[in-house]
Amino acid sequence: MYFKEIILYGDRGLILDFGQQSSKSISQEVNAYYHHLKVLGLSSTNIVPSFNKIVISFYSEVDRKQSLNKIQQEISQINPSTTTQNQSTWTIPVCYEDSFALDMQRIQELHDLTKEEVIQLHSNTTYYTYYIGFMPGFPYLGDIHPSLITPRLESPRIQIPARSVGIAKEHTCIYPKVSPGGWNIIGQVPFNLFSLEHPRTSLFLPGDEIKFHAINQKEFERIQKKDLSIDSLIKEYAS
Amino acid sequence: MNTFTITRTGTYLTVQDFGRYHYQHLGISPSGAMDPRILKELEKVIPQHANQFLEFAYVGPSLKVSAGAIRVCVGGDCNIFVQKNNNTQIEHQPYTSINLFEGDELTVYNTIDSVFGYIAIENGLGLEPCLNSFATDTKANIGSINRPLQIGDTFNIKEDVSSWKVVFNETVNIEKQNNFKVYPGPQLNYFSDLALQSFVSSTYTITTQSDRMGLRLQGAPLISHISHDILSEGILPGCIQVPSNGQPIVLMRDIPCTGGYPKIAILASEDIAKIAQLPPGSHINFDL
Repeated sequence: MYFKEIILYGDRGLILDFGQQSSKSISQEVNAYYHHLKVLGLSSTNIVPSFNKIVISFYSEVDRKQSLNKIQQEISQINPSTTTQNQSTWTIPVCYEDSFALDMQRIQELHDLTKEEVIQLHSNTTYYTYYIGFMPGFPYLGDIHPSLITPRLESPRIQIPARSVGIAKEHTCIYPKVSPGGWNIIGQVPFNLFSLEHPRTSLFLPGDEIKFHAINQKEFERIQKKDLSIDSLIKEYAS
Repeated sequence: MNTFTITRTGTYLTVQDFGRYHYQHLGISPSGAMDPRILKELEKVIPQHANQFLEFAYVGPSLKVSAGAIRVCVGGDCNIFVQKNNNTQIEHQPYTSINLFEGDELTVYNTIDSVFGYIAIENGLGLEPCLNSFATDTKANIGSINRPLQIGDTFNIKEDVSSWKVVFNETVNIEKQNNFKVYPGPQLNYFSDLALQSFVSSTYTITTQSDRMGLRLQGAPLISHISHDILSEGILPGCIQVPSNGQPIVLMRDIPCTGGYPKIAILASEDIAKIAQLPPGSHINFDL
């Protein structure tokens, strides 16, 4: 059990705190609590799980007070080992070439690695999907090889190109859309990861496993031209 | 059918409502009006707004009626004119209903000493909701219309106006404020007493790099003695996060749903609308 305490967040929020660390087993406990909270019928506006916290927001302070009482009554009955996840395994193509890898040089210099070594370290690991957040369909994947662990940019970029692959701390990600952000960009995937038309909305879901493989610019353009739907992506890249 | 067209966009013209909830776990922000107080005041004049409002920043739009007639109300501190079909120009007041007939063109000029203004249209804009809301997040491309509005965008409203009686909301009270009492953020302990002292004793300026996602401030840098890089966690509108350059960012309605910078403080929910109305160059103070 990692759950520690419930903390008030401003005047209309709550935080469920699961400690300072991040790991697959902490994430599995967070997701178990999340699924339990979702069915409590709280008058919340949002329930947002992440690596080691769940943030809940409310319409009013009164709603928060009532929900806090309810959560405190129910929390002892949560059994974190009872959730099951239908997870998929993905093999996702990434082009690491210079035109996409905006921060490759910074990564190489920080860790004294060649470009080929960075690519190999990044694409030789199987990643766990912790949760979806930050922006629509943005997966937090981890953990990356220890020799690639890099802090975020000092000041976030105003605009990161859509489908960029980034790394920050122990994690890697894909930006589904153009966005400001602070991750170090090392490549790009050739298709979209998010669709409002598909019931899944986000290609990756918490618990999914993802592996990357390097492709060249020509292959990138070939796949990009196909403009694949979520259903075709599931057929082609998931197992 | 009653039809009008956008003939001038002004700036940052989008469709908004009171927010899109229950999707933040998929990375979808609450969005909604930057100053929902104004929507509440407009509601008293046009109760049947169908939850579809136009929001603009600094410079308002022009709307021209090409068929039928509509009834609108403008909220915010701004000058409003209607160019009638017969070429006369009439000035209108905010929070007063305005009847627009075929050929009439409404123009809302710049907001005065504030940022955001709104237009409510009786029976709404004839839009379908997207994920149970009409709010627009232009960075994430989420919304009934998932982009800022453009010249030529045309709205068709099936229902006819219920009454042409001019209604005026006399009780509008939109407070202005530059000092904000804040709650401690989840990473308050990432900042030394000295840094916290700077945070509450210095004046911060809202910079031009500010939008519906966040207000970037400039002032005494707040350097953490622990780290400016935390495990990303859920954030709420009003959070004050500090990247490693030490310059705080107040997160607004189009929040990144989780974030990895330490949060020194969080605004009271009611103050988010007040800080949203302060134009770049405004000086603000925080009190913990």
